[in-house]
Amino acid sequence: MAAEGASSWLLAIEQSGIGQAIRQSTWAYPAANVIHVLGLAFFAAAVVVMDLRLLGVFAATKPADVIGPARRFAVGGLAIMILSGSCLFIAEASHIAHNYIFLTKMVIVAVGILLALLVHKPLTRYSLRAAAFEPASAGLRFTAILSLTLWLTVAGLGRFIAYV
Amino acid sequence: MKRQILFIAALAGMTSAAIAHHGWGSYDAAKPVTVTGPILTSVFTNPHATITVQGTDKVWTMTLAPTSRMISRGALAELVAVGKRVVAFGYPSTAEKDELRAERITIEGKTVELR
Repeated sequence: MAAEGASSWLLAIEQSGIGQAIRQSTWAYPAANVIHVLGLAFFAAAVVVMDLRLLGVFAATKPADVIGPARRFAVGGLAIMILSGSCLFIAEASHIAHNYIFLTKMVIVAVGILLALLVHKPLTRYSLRAAAFEPASAGLRFTAILSLTLWLTVAGLGRFIAYV
Repeated sequence: MKRQILFIAALAGMTSAAIAHHGWGSYDAAKPVTVTGPILTSVFTNPHATITVQGTDKVWTMTLAPTSRMISRGALAELVAVGKRVVAFGYPSTAEKDELRAERITIEGKTVELR
């Protein structure tokens, strides 16, 4: 089953008790797959709402009323995806770790999380202080476009992993 | 912050060592093969069940289907078992040597469509 030349730590993950349990269960793998995409639905919805708000859509709302709750949904969705995605990864670690679409996706996920951490403070400041119809700074609007691009790319790449 | 940078660096390092792995796109539907022989190994797990089969000139690794689909179509682990004689029709991989994606298998007179 293992790919040739796979690193021993990848094999160790794959051959672990949890790895075997996920593969041997009829439903664990498909269930993790379904939960992963449901997590994405919440995450993507929240990210799109936050980024569009920064770009001036829903401008009549107070940023604090939109960005705060949306951010909590985004974090929750991301946590669900990391957990379910780990199950999918563990089941075939030695194969998937050599899939270049998967690796590209992981790099972009890391960049996206890094961007979110970097933007956290200025975003919170804007969100708490700004009134309705008050535009976000050019910097924040730029990061909103960047964030949309990164996360929609991640979603697309995720679907593409199975086809290379 | 430092941890994130390390994470990115680690992943970038993995990417450089990465090789393309097969997926549903890398099977040659223009060159279907039919392999007949005994099952040497059978791994009845997700995401796909996998068997190796002694063909006339070589041992084939065959990617079958998710276990839920196998079960619902009657290709149970007891049927797709070591020692059973299988007739498999499938498409050879363009990425991995001696691997094929089985479209249908026949064991003990029972034919199961896998797609």
